Amino acid sequence: MPPAAATPAELDALQAQLTQRLLESGEWDRIKFVLAAKLNDSGWTDDMRNRSKERARTIEPLSFNALLEEMLPPAQTSIPLAIRRDVIALIRGYIDQQIE
Amino acid sequence: MNGIQGCPHIAALVGLGDLASGPLRKFQEVVAWEARRARQAKTVGATRKKVSIPFCSTCKVPLPRPFVCLHCWYAGCWRSGHVSEHLQESQHIFCADVTTGSIFCSECKDFVYHARVDELYRAAVVTEEEKQTLFQVAKKPRERFQSWVPTAHDVVVLENAATIPCQRRRGLLNLGQTCFMNVVLQCFIHNPLLRNYFLGDKHNNRQCKIEEDCTCCEMDKLFAEIFSDERTAFGPVTFLVTTWRKSTELAGYQQQDAHEFFISTLNNIHSSSRGSTNISCNCIVHSTFAGQLQSDVVCERCGNETSTVDPMLDISLELRGKPGEVVAGENTLATCLKRYTQPEKLGPKQYSCSKCGKSGQEASKRMSIRKLPPVLSFQFKRFEHKGDKSVSRKIDTRVRFPAILNMAPFTTHVVKNAEKENTNGSMSAYPGPITMYEYDLFAVINHEGQINNGHYTNYARYEDEVRDFSSSSGLSISLFVQWYRFDDDKVTAASLGSVLASPAYMCFYVKRHLDYKPYTTPSYVLKRENEVAREKEIEREKELSSIKELEDALLATV
Repeated sequence: MPPAAATPAELDALQAQLTQRLLESGEWDRIKFVLAAKLNDSGWTDDMRNRSKERARTIEPLSFNALLEEMLPPAQTSIPLAIRRDVIALIRGYIDQQIE
Repeated sequence: MNGIQGCPHIAALVGLGDLASGPLRKFQEVVAWEARRARQAKTVGATRKKVSIPFCSTCKVPLPRPFVCLHCWYAGCWRSGHVSEHLQESQHIFCADVTTGSIFCSECKDFVYHARVDELYRAAVVTEEEKQTLFQVAKKPRERFQSWVPTAHDVVVLENAATIPCQRRRGLLNLGQTCFMNVVLQCFIHNPLLRNYFLGDKHNNRQCKIEEDCTCCEMDKLFAEIFSDERTAFGPVTFLVTTWRKSTELAGYQQQDAHEFFISTLNNIHSSSRGSTNISCNCIVHSTFAGQLQSDVVCERCGNETSTVDPMLDISLELRGKPGEVVAGENTLATCLKRYTQPEKLGPKQYSCSKCGKSGQEASKRMSIRKLPPVLSFQFKRFEHKGDKSVSRKIDTRVRFPAILNMAPFTTHVVKNAEKENTNGSMSAYPGPITMYEYDLFAVINHEGQINNGHYTNYARYEDEVRDFSSSSGLSISLFVQWYRFDDDKVTAASLGSVLASPAYMCFYVKRHLDYKPYTTPSYVLKRENEVAREKEIEREKELSSIKELEDALLATV
């Protein structure tokens, strides 16, 4: 049972432990695969690629970091709600299995 | 990218050439490690085994997306800046993003590109993949990939060859309602396998023995025109005439259906190819476009399953489901394919079971793709013909299609597995690396307007590697990809966004990795060797008989 009020440090440690388990069991890869497939099917991947290409034409001087800073916020907000929900459910399902 | 100069630091590193030790060797090890880890992650879920993972050397958290220093054993996070800090503090120059194989240069403060690094990346991934062969032919393991290295003879030929600048992006003149032909020809021109075949002089129109109406010769002439230094639009007159003569149903001055022209031309190329056969043909058309469809019919009563395998050159997709169908949602290529491969009830009149003997049984039929072709062509059935051709309608519904397509869910193997284990969408159901199933979009044919007075245009992808030969290392600057829109003779640059939003009628995808049978000599090489041997035989016999004639003549004078 997780403590009723965990300190930030305890939450960080818990997150690190869960990340480690996700990675070691291969579950991270499986969930990431589902996410990538859903995002591509919805057209989000092509849309982001196109917008990044067009944006890159006008950033001066161009660097990866400059482009990433510009594109990260719209990338995160434009993820379709249904996909966000589905993937969070998958992660939650795994976490529930791990924590007794 | 640093302007158009490229990164001098990576160029210097590549120039050293020594792979035995050093950052590039480390790079390949890291790439191979990731390929191995990804493969293990697919299967490890079923067991209690664990995949070993890296932790950040600075903050100790586990790393889902590790960045590895190429000069020492440091691994770290990107987003929190730990790996950049390491590079600064230890004065190491390069680190690599393990997941994608991208290299970051701390001097240029950016990710950098070099063609040699790309080659090393691909070689490391393929070498790792070769260690496991899931689809075996005659129990032979996968043949090791060897990149092409020119022989001494090749080098001489290349040095003496005259190079010409070729446009590759030439418009085609409309010869009178011939836009249906122009769009299909542009899709052939930008098809990498067809292009390589005809530019490789595999069918030389000057040496061809076919007297007239050889569509292969027309293709050869077309490629020669497009890959010349001419910039003005080209009128494919002889191609049109040959088409009229070989496919009389397409003759005449009215607008034709581009898909009909496409299939007709494929058949004409096949029949005018040397050595083409009716079964298991390996002419350029079948080598490029031919796949196999499997149709499985299950008797609802006794469970008897019959499978038939049919060849296919392309896939025609319905845009509308039948009433009462489960597949819903947005109109996309994926939903069309789902519809295509979903189980379909056969009415009692359509099926009689050979096992339980009762005719009039209910049965279900399911289509799936048994063999994926190197080039996958899709047609959206937009033209509805009710009864005779005089009453027809166009379905204008927009269909969304992706730039990258994963065909695994529609292959026979995965479809059957999904039925058994209900592993819908799970990657553990895909045997082999994912890249085996991945396709890239390279051409789209659009139709606007009505059936009888519409207009065809197309988009095609142009790819090139731009090299700067002024520097001694032949610094490769960039892999240049640009989409173009072709409207008969008008060619304009276009964005990927406009391609994907266009009113598509046909789409063409090319497989990302081509598969080969292991340890076999290609049949055309064998054929050529046989021909050379036979010609030598004939020469020898001629010589022998002329020597004999001379001897007889001499003896007669004695």
